[in-house]
Amino acid sequence: MKLYQYVIRRLILMIFVLFGVSLIVFYLARGFPTGIDPVAPYIHARMTAEQIAEVRRIHGFDQPLYIQYFYWVRDALKGDFGTTGVWANSRLAIDVFLSSFPYTVQLSVAAIILTVAIGIPLGIISAIKNNRLPDHISRIIALTGYSTPSYWFGFMLQLVFFYYFLIWGLPHLPSSGASGMEGAVPLVTGMPILDGLFAGNLEYTLDAIAHLILPAFSLAFISLGFLARIVRASMLEVLRQDYITLARSKGLKERVVIYRHAMKNALIPAVTLTGIFFAMLLGGAMITEYVFNWPGVGRLSLLAVFQGDSNFILVYTLALALIVVIANLAVDIVYVFLDPRIKY
Amino acid sequence: MKSNSAKARTGEWKARWADFKYTLYLLRRNPLVLAGSFMALFFIILSLLANYIIDPNLAIPTGYPESGGGYPFHRSYMWSKGHFINWGPDVRLHEGPEFFYLGTDGWGRDLLKMIILAIPVDMENAIIITLIASIFGTLLGTLAGYAGGVVDEAILRVTDIFFAFPALVLALVFAAMFGRSIPTLRLAIILVWWPPYVRLMRGQILSEKEKSYVEALKALGAAYPKTFIRIQERFDVVFDKIVPLRAGRLRFLLIFQRVINGILDQLALLGMHLRILFRHILLNSIYPVLVQATLDFGGVILTFSALMFLGFSPSPSLPELGNLASDGYSHVFDAPWLMVFSGLTMLIIALAFNLVGDGLRDVLDPKLRR
Repeated sequence: MKLYQYVIRRLILMIFVLFGVSLIVFYLARGFPTGIDPVAPYIHARMTAEQIAEVRRIHGFDQPLYIQYFYWVRDALKGDFGTTGVWANSRLAIDVFLSSFPYTVQLSVAAIILTVAIGIPLGIISAIKNNRLPDHISRIIALTGYSTPSYWFGFMLQLVFFYYFLIWGLPHLPSSGASGMEGAVPLVTGMPILDGLFAGNLEYTLDAIAHLILPAFSLAFISLGFLARIVRASMLEVLRQDYITLARSKGLKERVVIYRHAMKNALIPAVTLTGIFFAMLLGGAMITEYVFNWPGVGRLSLLAVFQGDSNFILVYTLALALIVVIANLAVDIVYVFLDPRIKY
Repeated sequence: MKSNSAKARTGEWKARWADFKYTLYLLRRNPLVLAGSFMALFFIILSLLANYIIDPNLAIPTGYPESGGGYPFHRSYMWSKGHFINWGPDVRLHEGPEFFYLGTDGWGRDLLKMIILAIPVDMENAIIITLIASIFGTLLGTLAGYAGGVVDEAILRVTDIFFAFPALVLALVFAAMFGRSIPTLRLAIILVWWPPYVRLMRGQILSEKEKSYVEALKALGAAYPKTFIRIQERFDVVFDKIVPLRAGRLRFLLIFQRVINGILDQLALLGMHLRILFRHILLNSIYPVLVQATLDFGGVILTFSALMFLGFSPSPSLPELGNLASDGYSHVFDAPWLMVFSGLTMLIIALAFNLVGDGLRDVLDPKLRR
């Protein structure tokens, strides 16, 4: 199979996945018997029964489920995903998603940079010093990372770097939000750091960076463990191969053997993992965004789930599924270029 | 005298036992695994004994938060000499006859006691969820890998849908729809936790079923189950008794003999496949699943408590680690110990099981094993 045929096959499968996702989520959000009534986010306590029935009729929630689904698919293909409830000011669901997505992108990029910058060296050190002290230390860091409850770690960071630093009179970091100076610069990309740079407002940018540090580190600490372990395992495997022995027997320096010869092959699995992590982060780290009050899609989706806002849940889950599927495909394509042995 | 097959069987188990001992030896060499196992063992024993050490009735709140009953949100004392940690300027100090090592929560309950009562709740849920999810996923993965074809494709497409989400997102949606109770929370997490096992097991089976021993087993007619042979013989005897019918009018009855023998043959073939599958292939490829399950144990505890923390708890006073932390959510800055200690307990439990799982993975991975 040629590469482009493989890609086409995957894209066709992707449609199935998105279809399946929308079907499951639609049933859960609109039709599940013990679920929240889909009309709940659109009404308030002082509405009369007739008014509620009217709202239900306007949104089509009085129709049978399969008809609702049919209309939803028809509208969604036209790009209309319905409106959100009162909690998001009844804006269009897709607008709500798109306006908060840049914040999530900014956070994910920062988190993934930190993850890679810490996780890969940790894994490599771990493999080189296998079963010795540095390996044990890096193992503890990595395992602690993925044993940490994310909400707890977020709060601990806030407690120390915001609250106690504030009490002790040290320079402290902001504990919540994405920017303390909203409205100071025009929105271009929606990402505070980039917007600040475009407007030439250095103060705004620095403030945005200060807001970014804690949530990004909190996310990175939790995911770097996985990366470090994968890098270690693949590095250990590579270091046992014949071509490494050959390189050593040629009299190459250990540094050259590891960084020039071993690392290239050992980092291939890390690429997959990084790609998938990035996709998952783009879907919004719900808990971290919630804890740090980050105005991204993760926090919004959490609110939507609690409100039972089916339109936003559908937009969010579909976008998330799309991102993950595309990221998987991208990783597979990158693989072909990294590892010439792989053929599809 | 033992029969040859019996000899082979004892030999096989001897080899397995020797392998197991070697694995234990490799595990013992790693101090971290040792530490992790002891910690895990400690938590298992603690969760078995918790309800005997601490009176579970203490968890029933006696008053409203911050009003009646006990000493709501009081700073902890470590020893009588001084405070364990200076939590901050506006933290209330408790000066009474009672002694709280880790402080109190919003209901005025001793946090240490609540954490001890909470550990079995979390452990029990994690064990149930991990067991059900891993068994279900493993069986489906085995089916997909061994059967191949349409079955394989169908199962893979379903898991693809689940892989398009982070586990927490889907668990959250499920939990929101199923309602707030512990069994439904368990169900929500199980529903998102089985797909990785399908992939893992499928990959294992695919590589294992191509090995020559499987071919050999099939060629030998591996244990065409004796029961089936016996049943077939029984039927043959019955039909032989009515052999005189062969020429008679009731000749058509012999069709039944053929049909029954055919069905039995098919069943026996299925039995053979199942036997090869469960007795040989599964046993040889189960290790990664064990490792994954051990590693997932920590993840399940974290996910379960995260859902509890986000507000899916059936009752706000339930002693459960995520719930205790959630109690401290609105008081992070004036009663931080609630958050600190309940989260720390969770971290230590998850770390213990992850250390064991990670050590197991190193030791059982044939590529890394020496």
